[in-house]
Amino acid sequence: MTATALPALELPPALASKGRIPGNKGIWVGICCEFVEFLVLFVVYFVARAHFPESFEAGAERLSRVAGTVITLLMVTSSFFIACSVATMRAGQRRRSIGWLIAGLVVALGYPVAKYLEISWNLAHGINGESGIFFTVYYYLTFNHLVHAVWGILGILWVLARHLAGGYTTEDYSGLESLASYWHATDIIWLVIFPFFYVLN
Amino acid sequence: MKTPAANLGSLTYAWLALVGLTLLSLGIGQWFHGAVWLPLLVAAIVWIKGTVVARGFIEAQFAHPFIARVLAGFIAFTPVALVLTAFFGSQFARWATL
Repeated sequence: MTATALPALELPPALASKGRIPGNKGIWVGICCEFVEFLVLFVVYFVARAHFPESFEAGAERLSRVAGTVITLLMVTSSFFIACSVATMRAGQRRRSIGWLIAGLVVALGYPVAKYLEISWNLAHGINGESGIFFTVYYYLTFNHLVHAVWGILGILWVLARHLAGGYTTEDYSGLESLASYWHATDIIWLVIFPFFYVLN
Repeated sequence: MKTPAANLGSLTYAWLALVGLTLLSLGIGQWFHGAVWLPLLVAAIVWIKGTVVARGFIEAQFAHPFIARVLAGFIAFTPVALVLTAFFGSQFARWATL
């Protein structure tokens, strides 16, 4: 690891005034839609929490904090690895970039596995979607996030295939950065969901 | 061909901050169980973590102003809603009743 500046962050004056688009415009349309969808779901969460505060205070006690923490650590770590993949590609280190992307994929795959184990643990402890308003909202929000994460994992696989085929260069790595932006946005959403169900009580 | 090295140091600091804040929020949830001001602390941590990802990983500070505003707005929504629900929950429930 060295302290040399990231090359792409030295913006030309014309771009510096407007700012750059991380990745491409299309992915940011998708990310905006994703944000709107989750904002609606968050409003549902807050309306339910305001109506049934006792259910929400008691509900968090019954969930596995270990599962929530593991998923959070998997999300932030895979996000970190994919950010490293972009940074190394930007620096022209293609092989290292592919290595970081593979590491990001492996860690990201831990999320559905952890979620499967969490659901199994829940069911073994009698927690399902009909266990009360807290758990209905919990399943609805976390399953929705899992669906978005699975899309992201499929995206990582596609970008990895393109990367292995030499599809990205130091000058053009917008596909890789688009995937990274989507994954970071999905990470931000999980960082919001995590305290809803595993911290606040 | 010699290529410039990537600065992974700042990314590593961002990741360490996210891991640390995650563990801190778990501890806070346990230590201050039931405290009225717990949502304030949780809201602050959510905002900091979101901002770390936006600035550290997405580089929102270099992004187009629209993207930077979308990220800032989304990250700010939940902390604000958490605080409002914690302190004005009953009024909000009345307002949100069909």
